[in-house]
Amino acid sequence: MAKSFKRFSKTLLAAATALTIAGTVQAETLKIALAGPATGPVAQYGDMQKIGVLAAIEYLNANGGINGMDVEGVIYDDACDPKQAVAVANKIVNDGITHVVGHLCSSSTEPASDIYEEEGVLMITAASTSPTITEKGYGMIFRTIGLDSLQGSMAAQYILDTAKPKTIAVIHDKQQYGEGLATVVRDGLKAAGVEPVMFEGVTAGDKDFSALIAKLQKADVDFIYYGGYHPELGLILRQSAEKGLKAQFMGPEGIVNSDLAKIAGDAVEGVLATAPKAFDQNPENAERVKAIEAKGEDPTGPFVFPAYAAVQIMADTIKAIDSTDAMKMAEYIKANTFDTAIGTVKYDDKGDLTESTFLVYQLHADGSKTPAQ
Amino acid sequence: MTEASLYLLQQIINGLTIGSTYALIAIGYTMVYGIIGMINFAHGEIYMIGSYVSFIVITGLLAIGSFVLPLVLFIALVVAMLIASTYGWTVERVAYRPLRGSNRLIALISAIGMSIFLQNYVALSQGSRDVALAPLISGSVLELGSLETFEVTLSWMQLLIWVVTLVTMTALTLFISRSRMGRACRACAEDLGMTNLLGIDTNRIISLTFVIGAALAAIAGLLLGLYYGVINPFVGFMAGLKAFTAAVLGGIGSIPGAMLGGLILGVTEALTAAYFPSEYKDVVAFGLLVTILLFRPTGILGKPEVEKV
Repeated sequence: MAKSFKRFSKTLLAAATALTIAGTVQAETLKIALAGPATGPVAQYGDMQKIGVLAAIEYLNANGGINGMDVEGVIYDDACDPKQAVAVANKIVNDGITHVVGHLCSSSTEPASDIYEEEGVLMITAASTSPTITEKGYGMIFRTIGLDSLQGSMAAQYILDTAKPKTIAVIHDKQQYGEGLATVVRDGLKAAGVEPVMFEGVTAGDKDFSALIAKLQKADVDFIYYGGYHPELGLILRQSAEKGLKAQFMGPEGIVNSDLAKIAGDAVEGVLATAPKAFDQNPENAERVKAIEAKGEDPTGPFVFPAYAAVQIMADTIKAIDSTDAMKMAEYIKANTFDTAIGTVKYDDKGDLTESTFLVYQLHADGSKTPAQ
Repeated sequence: MTEASLYLLQQIINGLTIGSTYALIAIGYTMVYGIIGMINFAHGEIYMIGSYVSFIVITGLLAIGSFVLPLVLFIALVVAMLIASTYGWTVERVAYRPLRGSNRLIALISAIGMSIFLQNYVALSQGSRDVALAPLISGSVLELGSLETFEVTLSWMQLLIWVVTLVTMTALTLFISRSRMGRACRACAEDLGMTNLLGIDTNRIISLTFVIGAALAAIAGLLLGLYYGVINPFVGFMAGLKAFTAAVLGGIGSIPGAMLGGLILGVTEALTAAYFPSEYKDVVAFGLLVTILLFRPTGILGKPEVEKV
């Protein structure tokens, strides 16, 4: 009897210790998962996200954390592959993390968001612009970047009002992001009575576009909208320059990347792109830019400050409601406005930003960009 | 010439260019199959390694001094062929020779494993991002038609690809038909066991076919690398698949078949992209493969395989 009581008390003690340890660990660090490509062809976008998130976390930690909690960013690599994104999302849930910044590619974010919604994980993506992600009526999914459709209609508006070309071709890479945008652009043009002479897909990963370029030349196209990412557009630009195709190119923010100039060289000069506003030029972000540059990192990437803002929104919410419960946080985020690195943020019912964060830019051969007239 | 015929001419030029490089890679598949009856799926990766080596050599040489361009390209070509051949030889030695004589499926799996290994090995050692090279050869040899309607251009780069492919193919054909080793190759293709009995070192001949295939893939690697200017560790997969298709189309095991198959595939792709939406390029190209195999299961120039008893 005495023996069994002794054993029982030991168990109690062990349980109590375990509880306190668990309690203190939870109180000391808040883990934020950082999901995006760390490898693969679009890894540099993942870097941008990482730079923004880690800078925000370092700033928080240097200023006493969130309500005394330290914040830790945990990196998960989805390689921008939908299958791997699902695996990553499951791993995040298994690791007990309930706050995610990511994913990056829309095609990865979409399947991952299903898992987060079901498991009650708060997700803010700083880069995925596909409208379908927020169309499912989910409560836990937010963005700090404008929608594809906004970007597409903005491009269509620019083509109609400013560029006013004679013959337009719309080309895309047959992927969710690229084709989605290209469709919005085409529909926007059609609605205004301008019919693109071509609407065609290319295969992502293809290297030879000589046949397509000859076709564009034959159709006398003087304006080409490309929905997709920089590796293919880089090659199209390079081969167009070699073949003497003189047309104005325009693309979404997926093409805005210093690698575009590396692939296409001087052919990049003058290419138009809708991209998130250059938040690093914003005087309010001067301190943050300085902190990122001090680490030897590049603050100019389009996803750096949206990623920074995602962490700020999470931190502000936790401070305001004094809880890290993801469900309660999601409710608070929908109901309130936030002052962040990308300006004042307010959400609609779906979890989309109420204001567009895009601007039309002109790209240059040295990798820089300036606002287009 | 009318605009329509100029346009057709341009697309045929484009198709022949891409087809030439398919043919160069296809030789490696077809020679290995002709002799030991296996598909070397790591061959696309050898092409990719050839591309990487030539990029590294070209960038290095241009960085250290002002060499004349033809010399730089020649050195890059020689180094790429040497290194790719070494890889080709090693792959055969390590992954195929110990398995020769066992079930064909086992060698196939080993080849796929080798392909994945090489892809990831390059991705880890060189990074998985695109590597770009500024255009080195620009300008065009020939311009037909006028700017107002449609202008046909044949660039120096395209001409270079044609010439190099033509020279290489002629050299290979002469080697196979005239030299002693070429004769040994043909003998091995006919009957490996019998050739061995007649006192020819068949292991050496098999190694030789891997080395020749890899060297030709390296030439394609250099040419396509210069033509497109961008490579990554994954370019070997699609190029290998296309070249394999070309080899099967022309008749796997037949060297002229591989050349013909490459050109047909290239031109078909270009013409499909020219007159249909370009997303149907692969559909038509592979549809053609299926159709030809239905009517000629051994490919255009392939001989029906006689079952050895």
